[in-house]
Amino acid sequence: MAAEHAGAATADALDGPPLLLGKQDNTTLTGNLLAHVWARPDTRGWLLAFTIAGFGSAMLLLAITVTIATGIGVWGNNIPVGWAFDITNFVWWIGIGHAGTLISAILFLFQQRWRTAINRFSEAMTIFAVMCAGLFPLLHTGRPWFAYFMFPYPSTLEMWPQFKSPLIWDVFAVSTYFTVSLLFWYLGLIPDLAALRDASKSKVQQKIYGIFALGWRGSGRHWHNYKVGYLLLAGLSTPLVVSVHTIVSFDFAVSVLPGWHTTIFPPYFVAGAVFSGFAMVMSWMVPARHFLGLKHVITERHLENMNKIILATGMLVSYGYLMEHFIAWYSGNQFEWFVFYNRATGPYRGVYYLMLFCNVLTPQVFWFKWARNSIPLMFVVSILVNIGMWCERFVIIVTSLHRDFLPAAWDMYYPTWVDITLFLGTIGFFSTLFLLFLKFIPAVAVSEVKELNEELQHPTPPVTVVTGA
Amino acid sequence: MEHDAAPVGRTYVLGQFPTGEALVDACYKVREKGFETIDTHSPYPLHGGDEALGLRRSRVPRIALAGGLTGMFGGYLMMVYMNAINWPLNVAGRPPHAPPSFIPITFETTVLLSSLSIFFGLLTLMRLPQPYHAVFENDAFRSAVNDGFWMSVALPPGSDGKDATSVLSQLGAKDVSVVKEDVA
Repeated sequence: MAAEHAGAATADALDGPPLLLGKQDNTTLTGNLLAHVWARPDTRGWLLAFTIAGFGSAMLLLAITVTIATGIGVWGNNIPVGWAFDITNFVWWIGIGHAGTLISAILFLFQQRWRTAINRFSEAMTIFAVMCAGLFPLLHTGRPWFAYFMFPYPSTLEMWPQFKSPLIWDVFAVSTYFTVSLLFWYLGLIPDLAALRDASKSKVQQKIYGIFALGWRGSGRHWHNYKVGYLLLAGLSTPLVVSVHTIVSFDFAVSVLPGWHTTIFPPYFVAGAVFSGFAMVMSWMVPARHFLGLKHVITERHLENMNKIILATGMLVSYGYLMEHFIAWYSGNQFEWFVFYNRATGPYRGVYYLMLFCNVLTPQVFWFKWARNSIPLMFVVSILVNIGMWCERFVIIVTSLHRDFLPAAWDMYYPTWVDITLFLGTIGFFSTLFLLFLKFIPAVAVSEVKELNEELQHPTPPVTVVTGA
Repeated sequence: MEHDAAPVGRTYVLGQFPTGEALVDACYKVREKGFETIDTHSPYPLHGGDEALGLRRSRVPRIALAGGLTGMFGGYLMMVYMNAINWPLNVAGRPPHAPPSFIPITFETTVLLSSLSIFFGLLTLMRLPQPYHAVFENDAFRSAVNDGFWMSVALPPGSDGKDATSVLSQLGAKDVSVVKEDVA
């Protein structure tokens, strides 16, 4: 058995490198997975990162204040480019969130055991990314204090939302997504919050974690319902995540604009979302596993698997590009073809080629095993993919709008400082939330890793299927 | 439901077992001795733990289905009422009641209500939040959510717990103790 040599627990000898390094038991796992929460918060690196992220959040607040106080005229948007950085950022952030749900729900349903070490981490990313995403359409309404108009509340005006609009579908999709992700995340956290409560050394920590743990006592009668509830939430999250990005793509596909009005958009957007989301998880996981001392639970095997998914989804996205261009040419529609010709030769061609380089070319290195196992390389690739996917949304949105049917109406879009500050500010805000998460909550689902460790050490015998009599 | 909910009492006998398997085996034996109001406490779900406690199928799926159906019909009928009955609005010549356009939101409300009912249904079934419980009176029990495998036996009113204590001790449990709810 692989479990004997090198003291590593492996599911199967043919299964590749181990999921957990070293000989672990429940006591050591409690110790080393919670250690980073008990570490003093004045660790230099964390404080430095937190200061930078906090500065970003402050800039976000400034940009939001300027936008609300003056109006969205401070943005570079114009007619014809009514959607620009705002919607680009919205789609980018929402897409980043989707990897979290994919890891936590879809890989759970497929019983991919390597998800256990990274699901908590990426679910947290989902929640923070959706918070950043939601800001943009909210501000883009121009009068965010009337945003509640979009919800079906009984107003004295008897004004109801117009449910045939994809933008209202978006409101429902994104708010449902946020709610369900939060519930799923919190439900998974309850046993670990109880672990923190009962492993804490100070009364204050015990009280605070105790409140959030809701009095969890690891009861077998609780686990009985809990397991079923968790499985069902995973089952519901799976079609939900597909529906959310599908509906985001409907914002474009339901319009009649060349470059947007295509049936390939829903699958193409979902693939792109997973692609960028995995890249973002990778960008954070590489430093986090190093600084939090989690290399024994987030192993090279996890990173390699993620790189394989980045390669696969990158290929799906490339196929999307190919088909889009082919159909534009094959349709024989001159307006449709012009949009794609203009993307490659027009004033925004730099962004277009950067997109192709980052999204089509870069992930191809992951065909090689040495590349999938090289930590510096995967970090660089993940950053490039994040950039590439942002460029993709910019290309889709701005190049389709800036040269529409009548040349007399053509115009250029240039971002203003407010546009750029808002975007960079959300990155700061996201980082702030994420650093707080890494400080106060176990970054790895401790009870799930213990269960995995138990399963790896005492594998259940394979089920023999008996056919015939 | 009463049968599967965590036993409610004021006094419990606690005992710690060395491994999860030992705890599961002990559950069968303790139940054979006639103690049905038992519960296990472990950092992760025990393999075979549901059968050992004699639990029936969870009611969570039915709660989820009820929530999902409410969300589905509620969401769709809400849109029909608002856009086709209460204030019909002609947008781009689409019919006021436009079934294909109502599907995305119907799907979202189905998922939303189903998820909310799973979450709050779970809390109700588990009777959480319940920050205080008699089992927390024993300080050693703090290992139950980290690395310990505990059994608790809820005692009927008036019992001193001697019988349950001796059964747990015979089965090899350590730290066997009687804990009482602090009613101060």
